[in-house]
Amino acid sequence: MNREKLQQLGIKLPVLPTTSVGSFPKPDYLMKARSEFAKGKITRQELEETERKATAFWIQKQEELDVDVLVDGEMYRGDMVAYFSEHIKGFEQGGLVRSYGNRYYHKPIIASEVHWERPITVEWWKYAQSLTKRPVKGMLTGPYTVMDWSFNEAYPDRKAACFALALEIRKEVQALVEAGAKIIQIDEPAVSVRPEELPLAIESMRLATNGVPAYFITHICYGAFEFIYPEMLHIPVDNFDLEMSNSGLDMLELFKKDPYTKDISFGVVDVHNHRIEEGPVVQQRLQEALKVLPKDCIWVDPDCGLKTRTVDEAIAKMKAVVQVAKAMRN
Amino acid sequence: MELVLSNHSSYPRIGDDPAGQRLRRTIAQREKGEKTEADLRAAENQMTERALAEQVEAGLDVVTDGLIRWYDPVSHLAGKLSGIKINGLLRFFDTNFYFRQPIVGGKIKREKSLVVEEFLFAKAKSPRPVKTVLTGPYTLARLSIGQNEETGKLDALLAGYTQALAEEVAALAAAGATLIQVDEPALLKHPEDFSLFETSIKPLAARKGSARLGLAFYFGDAARLYSKLQGLPVDILGLDFTYSPSLPEIVRTEGSSKTLAFGLLDGRNTRLEDPNALARQLERMLGGLKAEIAYLTPSSGLEYLPRDRAQLKLKHLTTVKKTLLGRAA
Repeated sequence: MNREKLQQLGIKLPVLPTTSVGSFPKPDYLMKARSEFAKGKITRQELEETERKATAFWIQKQEELDVDVLVDGEMYRGDMVAYFSEHIKGFEQGGLVRSYGNRYYHKPIIASEVHWERPITVEWWKYAQSLTKRPVKGMLTGPYTVMDWSFNEAYPDRKAACFALALEIRKEVQALVEAGAKIIQIDEPAVSVRPEELPLAIESMRLATNGVPAYFITHICYGAFEFIYPEMLHIPVDNFDLEMSNSGLDMLELFKKDPYTKDISFGVVDVHNHRIEEGPVVQQRLQEALKVLPKDCIWVDPDCGLKTRTVDEAIAKMKAVVQVAKAMRN
Repeated sequence: MELVLSNHSSYPRIGDDPAGQRLRRTIAQREKGEKTEADLRAAENQMTERALAEQVEAGLDVVTDGLIRWYDPVSHLAGKLSGIKINGLLRFFDTNFYFRQPIVGGKIKREKSLVVEEFLFAKAKSPRPVKTVLTGPYTLARLSIGQNEETGKLDALLAGYTQALAEEVAALAAAGATLIQVDEPALLKHPEDFSLFETSIKPLAARKGSARLGLAFYFGDAARLYSKLQGLPVDILGLDFTYSPSLPEIVRTEGSSKTLAFGLLDGRNTRLEDPNALARQLERMLGGLKAEIAYLTPSSGLEYLPRDRAQLKLKHLTTVKKTLLGRAA
């Protein structure tokens, strides 16, 4: 593990530290408040009070579960790209497009040059960190994914849009660090979809993070990793947070062929399933990881954000993560 | 040479206005048991008519039914074939759209028509010629898995889908379809499979009757396969020009023995391209062609765009054509 960097940042973590990928389910009272806000029945301030209540709930839950590195749970976000597009100047909300079946979403449009005007997530991070002594990760969506999941009307091509976004997201990274964040996760789930564009993702992450004093994690999921590994190791972060369980741990085969060289947040529970995996199943996954990866480079977490699960399922899955990590520490 | 304006394939089935939401609402209500199958058909019919009308209004010469009834380009066809179960969601190429993956457990058999009724409905409602769209056997095979090793072999999957789709092509031709487009985006991801792919096209071509048969390639660079595509027994080749910097020059220098459908307008981005630049590019390519007509289309289906932007994209086809004619004059 890049413990030297963590130590320099003043962060001490146990062997096999535990964390989560970012999102937790919104409690029913928050879903109701969001619906009422959308209908104009409550004010933004009232909605934010409810979001703070839900954030405090998840911080407390993570502490009770004894998670080592916490997240704010993203109670204030809807979609991971739409949220940032709503806060970066230059975006317009596009009309509805289909995701699958009868599901639709508003895809943002980069309509003019993008500009970061003020901190986006910093107040939420500060609030979450004020509730705990454990480190809370700063949580951002990466420039490549924001570009890929938006229409581009403002820049000549995808590369130009991606790099412009990287320089604006860098300002949010710096604002988080100035506020005290030591660990920042920059999610890039889109990276594995177009292998030929991996150089864009690598360079845009460099533009967003280079020289900023923080321990960086990136989360990547839903992709054909066989086409981007081992080249993806050039993405300049300290830790890759990867969806391992949903794909039957098949990435371990890639790691056997080309050694994995960074820290990893190893997903040991599937987030797409209501079923709570039994302890031995989760333990077996971690044991398989330990056959291929040095113990000191492994963090333990779920495959992906838990926002699509119920509150009880999310807690049960996090409990399974922590129990197994603790059991395997010695 | 006549430049024919055509939709590529899909058209958004949802709009932001209340009327544009009807199909979405009806599907949701049907899933809860609050609406009947007949209610759902009526909503699909209404949205199909609206899609046809918007294409006509945009100035197109050839329209599609917008694939309004399709859950996705894979399961809508595979789900109607016997020997196949439809499973979980997978990403459709490099889009943010997901399809349900077919699992092939036995012999693939076509026991009922796949899109013939959809074609007949569109034909009856459209004042313009209707192009029928099918996802091709190679793409269906590539995006399916077998329940066991035997049924999962690519050549076995391909043979099964080819037989079924050849029957569908014959049924469409018998029903009066004059223009049938077979979409094969998967080939561009696996150009090494060209010989195998070729075996799947001959049986389709043999059953097309008097219909004109086209192949559409998108979501990838067709430049490296361009010469080989010219040897396929089809009438029309549809190409996505948004992925390939070299394709225009290859078309210009090599010409084409087939009618070409130029997918020059990006079907996946809302930006309206510079009509002068596209007209210049088109003019250079058309100069080397012998066919009597060429098609100008979006690069792919338009379901990846919001509805209002999709219609603007279609209207932009007209703008590009006018610009081209203006240059010629």
